[in-house]
Amino acid sequence: MMKTFSIGGIHPSDSKISKDCKIEVLPVPSKVFISVAQHLGAPATPVVKAGDQVKVGQVIAEPAGFISAYVHSSVSGTVKSVGPRKDLAGNNMTHIEIDVEGDEWIEGVDLSDTLVTAIPEDNKAILEKIKMCGVVGLGGATFPAHVKLCPPPGKVAECLILNGAECEPYLTSDNRIMIERSKEIVIGAAIMKQVLGGCKTVIGIEENKPEAIAAMTAAVAELQKTAKGYDGISVMTLKKKYPQGGEKQLIDAVMGRQVKSMGLPIDVGAVVQNVATSLAVYEAVQKNIPLITNVMTITGDCLPMEKQHNYKFRIGMPLSYIAEYAGGVPEQAAKIISGGPMMGKAIANMDATTVKGSSSLLYLTAEQTVRGVESACIRCGKCAEACPMGLEPFLLQKYARNNMMDELEENAVQDCIECGCCLYSCPANIPLLDIIRIAKGDVIRIIRTRK
Amino acid sequence: MERLLVSPSPHLHTKTSTKSLMRDVVIAMIPAVIVSVLFYGWSELLVLGVSVASCVLLEYLITKYLLKRPCTVGDMSAVVTGILLALNLPATTPWWVVFIGAVVAIGVAKMTFGGLGQNLFNPAIVGRVFLLISFPTYMTDWTRPQGFIGGGLDGLSGATPLGLAKEGGVAAIEGLDYMDMLFYNIGGSAGELSAIAILAGFVYLLARRVIRPYITLSILATVAVFSGIFWAINPAEYTDPVFNLLTGGVLLGSVFMATDYVTSPMSNVGGIIFGVGIGIITMLIRYFGAYPEGMSFAILIMNSVVPLINKVCHAKKYGRA
Ligand code: SF4
Ligand code: SF4
Repeated sequence: MMKTFSIGGIHPSDSKISKDCKIEVLPVPSKVFISVAQHLGAPATPVVKAGDQVKVGQVIAEPAGFISAYVHSSVSGTVKSVGPRKDLAGNNMTHIEIDVEGDEWIEGVDLSDTLVTAIPEDNKAILEKIKMCGVVGLGGATFPAHVKLCPPPGKVAECLILNGAECEPYLTSDNRIMIERSKEIVIGAAIMKQVLGGCKTVIGIEENKPEAIAAMTAAVAELQKTAKGYDGISVMTLKKKYPQGGEKQLIDAVMGRQVKSMGLPIDVGAVVQNVATSLAVYEAVQKNIPLITNVMTITGDCLPMEKQHNYKFRIGMPLSYIAEYAGGVPEQAAKIISGGPMMGKAIANMDATTVKGSSSLLYLTAEQTVRGVESACIRCGKCAEACPMGLEPFLLQKYARNNMMDELEENAVQDCIECGCCLYSCPANIPLLDIIRIAKGDVIRIIRTRK
Repeated sequence: MERLLVSPSPHLHTKTSTKSLMRDVVIAMIPAVIVSVLFYGWSELLVLGVSVASCVLLEYLITKYLLKRPCTVGDMSAVVTGILLALNLPATTPWWVVFIGAVVAIGVAKMTFGGLGQNLFNPAIVGRVFLLISFPTYMTDWTRPQGFIGGGLDGLSGATPLGLAKEGGVAAIEGLDYMDMLFYNIGGSAGELSAIAILAGFVYLLARRVIRPYITLSILATVAVFSGIFWAINPAEYTDPVFNLLTGGVLLGSVFMATDYVTSPMSNVGGIIFGVGIGIITMLIRYFGAYPEGMSFAILIMNSVVPLINKVCHAKKYGRA
């Protein structure tokens, strides 16, 4: 029987319209604006100034703390300015503006197509490379990858889980890289597995991506036959259910273990990395290519088939440039999402630019996305049935509206993963997650100050 | 494009709404409604019509003129209450008695508590029980009116099988054909005529994921086990499980009334406790109490315990075993 996580979950239509669209490379625009905040943690500190010449792959900002990451230039040319610019939510963040001239890369980068299957032996050097290349988790959280690959003392990784679930509707970039770059992803997984001490490795993919499952399975088999260090890697087909790609849910699905409240995956012996991260690890370690590209999906029901795309983009490209290149924003689009429709962010500013974790431009029509009028809770329990954390959203929202902090904490509001299943399911259109999100922030602050 | 919508995630929403859920409940009751109208004819149509019309009208008037709140008739919950009330009355109930039942159901049991979602007791059952106590003669008049088909169903006209058993003991119901009862011959309220019709509704509700099966199944299982034990000990004194499942509104109540969202527990475990409670209370009333059936009272009693059950029973949380 196919595995999946044990509590809650929903089955929205998966709408993988662009699943067969091959990855195309976006041409470089004449100007890029590279944000210094492309990862979870402290924004990086710029190390270039206006007038500096930069090459593709050159460090332009350095980590400002343990949880932070390097940022590299995605183009060659002249730094025009370093200063505030609005991100996609409309907030100001430091961006490095570069006028593009040619496409000249830094030394030592291997841009050939040759597959490098031999894994270097020195784990320290591998971790250093992953760090220096600015690799962050590309599954949504953009947590610096090397940090996750160094379990704290006393903790042992028993299983590396590669997240190929891509459970968000509409998104197809992971599907495409698993089909087109399967071997690179498996090599990346083998590298991470070695760093973690040679633990078992499971690549979890949802059943609605049969081509990806076949390609990844074949890649694993071939590498196991032809190279060393690939034992103990396997592909696991998972039943389609949202939010399978949630770290806690994936661990439950693959290992049958649950992470304790406020705990970390490594507490139960798990390390979870996205398939795109694995590809970035391959490029960093085997090819010396820093993380300056990723794949994003351009999709929506209101786009004709020929305007659906999966693009390989460079960081710092204006979203409006990409939309224009893809054929323009469709008239019916009322909302544009960066990320999936369940957890992605609504874009307020199309002049914002791509970051390492960008995954889509998703066009939704008003009919699809405008919420109905809120009515009384009919106590149907559908929100609780849907919650993958086993919470009772109807109760949490009631406590939140009455500012009952103790009750909120007792009923585990801090465990909410903000997956949106509750709000999605509520027949009375109660803005459950909107309310719970704020309450969760408050309760976590209270818990922190107590410590 | 100029003015992009910006709002927090999630950006998609289920198509299921309060209204669509209520519509599904109405659809699920249609088989029982059709059977009752076919066999009880015009008088049943009158009961249904008066009940639904008064429930809807009362809710409209109360929200608009008394509470001065946005009108909630559109959510169809009043239609559900109207049909349920009608199915729980004898087909011979006079129209003004039906109307009083609707006033109690909507005016007292639903709106005084604050409308849909706030009421502690199932409105239709409150209406029925009020009538049962206030107008016992009408409510236990089981003469069968002329239907459109099956002219003068023979068998047990004049009294419900449960009533017969209460007065005359097990001997009084000897010769009842359970196969018949399964399809069309259950004496009692209009809605319980056909077990198959009710079960069809149950299957529909499950298939459409309107309800979860726990409450219904735990009621049925409890009634079966409870009566099974007594019957096994003394079949001459106690009625058998099949009889108890098929009569006295057990099916109608367990499928359509005990499963009412508002007045039943939220969690699955809570639902099972609730169902077992209803089953036990029903059988206690039947075997040892003054009323022949007991389902309505059992549901009302358990309705009042729901807040307590909800306090104690919670869903299983992730990572907090
Ligand atoms: S958003 Fe939070 S409360 Fe809502 S379903 Fe997800 S985890 Fe549960
Ligand atoms: S899904 Fe909505 S209506 Fe149903 S119990 Fe939860 S909050 Fe109430």
